[in-house]
Amino acid sequence: MQIGRVIGNAVATVKHASLKGWKLLLVQPLHENAKPDGEPFLVVDGVGAGAGELVLISSDGVAARNLIGDRKTPVRWTVIGICDQ
Amino acid sequence: MRLAEVIGTVTLSRPHPSVAGFKFVIAVPHTRQSLLGGAKPDGEDIVVYDDLGAGDGSKIAFSDSAEAAAPFYPEKKPIDAYCACLIDSLTITEGK
Repeated sequence: MQIGRVIGNAVATVKHASLKGWKLLLVQPLHENAKPDGEPFLVVDGVGAGAGELVLISSDGVAARNLIGDRKTPVRWTVIGICDQ
Repeated sequence: MRLAEVIGTVTLSRPHPSVAGFKFVIAVPHTRQSLLGGAKPDGEDIVVYDDLGAGDGSKIAFSDSAEAAAPFYPEKKPIDAYCACLIDSLTITEGK
């Protein structure tokens, strides 16, 4: 799990069937000192996070498949919480 | 899923049976700088499996790691990059 900041979102019409109806957030992973840690990437949001929010993201592919409800989804990263501080 | 831009395709003259008929594209992943600066992607290019019809200049999101092979379950495929969507629009709200 990692802390990240929501810095945008993506819209896609043509996509893997399992992604239908899911919000795709562009998340910048952060170090503990709030400095960027690597490149931003797209994360599936099941929590309802918005732009600028600090989120907890998980790379558990099994959790992603459970959340989306599709054994064949290519998703790895999901938002699992919004951080207060 | 990482963001990338397609710059070409790969054609196999002799594919492994498990990937026969598959389509592959060459994609350049976006970095933080290229995303925030609105520039062309400048990551290290990678070959991505694609069945969505990505073409030159398409902006895509691809899965790497083990999840790239998940769409083929229960079959096992030697795929480590899977084009999961063609991006219509990307909105960047914050540069920090």
